[in-house]
Amino acid sequence: MPMNRPHNGNRSVKMKHIFPGMLIGVLVALGGCATAGDIEQQTVASKTDPYENFNRKMFGFNDKVDNYVAEPISNAYKWITPQFMQTGVTNFFNNLKNVNVVINDVLQAKFSQSAEDTGRFAINSTVGVGGLFDVAKHVGLEQNEEDFEQTLAVWGVPQGSYLVLPILGPSTARGIPGSVFDTAANPVTYIGMPVQLLSMLNARASAEGALKFIDEAALDPYVFTRESFLQWRNNLATDGKSEASLDVDGLEDESLDGDKGSASEQGSSGNAGASNKPGFALRLDAKTKEIEQASHSFSSVAQSFDDTAKSFEEAGSKVDEFKKSKRRR
Amino acid sequence: MFLKNIRLAIVFMFLLLGAVNAFAADEGGATARQVVEKFQADLIAVMKDGKKLGYAGRYDKLIDPVSNSHDLTKIARIVVGKEGEKLSEEQQQKLVDVFSRLSIASYAHNFKDYSGESFVFDSEEETTRGGVVVHSHFVIPGDKPVKFDYMLKEKGNSWRIINIIANGVSDLALKRSEYTTILQREGFDALITKINEKIDNYSKQ
Repeated sequence: MPMNRPHNGNRSVKMKHIFPGMLIGVLVALGGCATAGDIEQQTVASKTDPYENFNRKMFGFNDKVDNYVAEPISNAYKWITPQFMQTGVTNFFNNLKNVNVVINDVLQAKFSQSAEDTGRFAINSTVGVGGLFDVAKHVGLEQNEEDFEQTLAVWGVPQGSYLVLPILGPSTARGIPGSVFDTAANPVTYIGMPVQLLSMLNARASAEGALKFIDEAALDPYVFTRESFLQWRNNLATDGKSEASLDVDGLEDESLDGDKGSASEQGSSGNAGASNKPGFALRLDAKTKEIEQASHSFSSVAQSFDDTAKSFEEAGSKVDEFKKSKRRR
Repeated sequence: MFLKNIRLAIVFMFLLLGAVNAFAADEGGATARQVVEKFQADLIAVMKDGKKLGYAGRYDKLIDPVSNSHDLTKIARIVVGKEGEKLSEEQQQKLVDVFSRLSIASYAHNFKDYSGESFVFDSEEETTRGGVVVHSHFVIPGDKPVKFDYMLKEKGNSWRIINIIANGVSDLALKRSEYTTILQREGFDALITKINEKIDNYSKQ
């Protein structure tokens, strides 16, 4: 059985910390695109991915952007930049990210880890010449991965639906507010354009290995990316304590009973009914259906936003409880 | 004199018992941990000779270690889930066959050379339904270690790996989503074609 590399869920994940503003513009632009593609049978295979048709289109779009824009630029960057400089750039941005990591350590009540991460930031910013060298690693302080999405998970906000965002890549309903906060808390956001561009470039260059692995191993790159992204995020949020992924017994059970097959059958029987009509009407019908679907997707995305916002409020009261219990200790 | 005889007899008995015990352990099959560690050792050995062997050499050397430690038939069955019921006997056999080759090929492709890597055993735990999970990690010099958790089930009198979870990402769950989606969207023949393409690509590099 093939291995999953450590960061195989990374497809342009890092980029999502940058330019959330671009999102809205492209979303509007793609609202039009969604109607242009071929009509596919609706097979909703995953409960966390109710917008699979929409997501697949976005995934395809991102893939094209990556092939024609991001990858060539990234390759050029890797070609002209010596390895030690690339490492330095990666270290620099990782170090700045530690501001974010420390904030989230505290929000998740991981106080000893926050002290370690503060130490890490201090060492690398000084001895490590502004973060260009990762000195802290050699004293045993490993880089921790914490962000607002994980904090929300710890606070009990449900993950919500899986969403593929234009340019920014895989996310979830919970991940979107998460990355808005992450962007706000990351110093890179306030430095300015050229540095932000370098940050994006560096993120794409570092993801090269993971992207190559997906290309090599995935039979269905969309599903592969979705599953590994969701599992990877879940593993981070629970700090590796999630036992869900160990549950093979559950998988075996599901293969014996379950209601998965019915979704696709319904989809095809719906199409069969429509095929009696003349070809032109069929096409027209399918197109309006598609538009309806797309707009339906958007409204249900909005719905899950509402849910997330609601749980935000609940999370607020949970934090208060957190504080109280800490004081009692 | 009599005492001495008794002592000799006791020593002799112990020796005999010891020998019997050793036999028993041999016949009873390996424990879950032993199966995992044997497989990891075989894999590291192939990595050490990796460059010299080339892809074909690594593939040949890995056939036995992979098939003897993994329950490939069971994995192939779980991976297609409910869609498997729609497959004919012949198709199921073909799937197991192609899937086994893919598994070995991806090991041969992904573990191609050696630069000081090693596997370290962490712990072992029993699951509720008679499975065993062996927790270990893969040490890569100069990089973060990768957590490898092996889920094993008993097959006959030995243990077999049925899932590998690398840094929290379950290979079985991942494959299952992919395979069932492809079966639903494109059908059995497309799945087999895609798997064969992957095996081809692995062999080329």
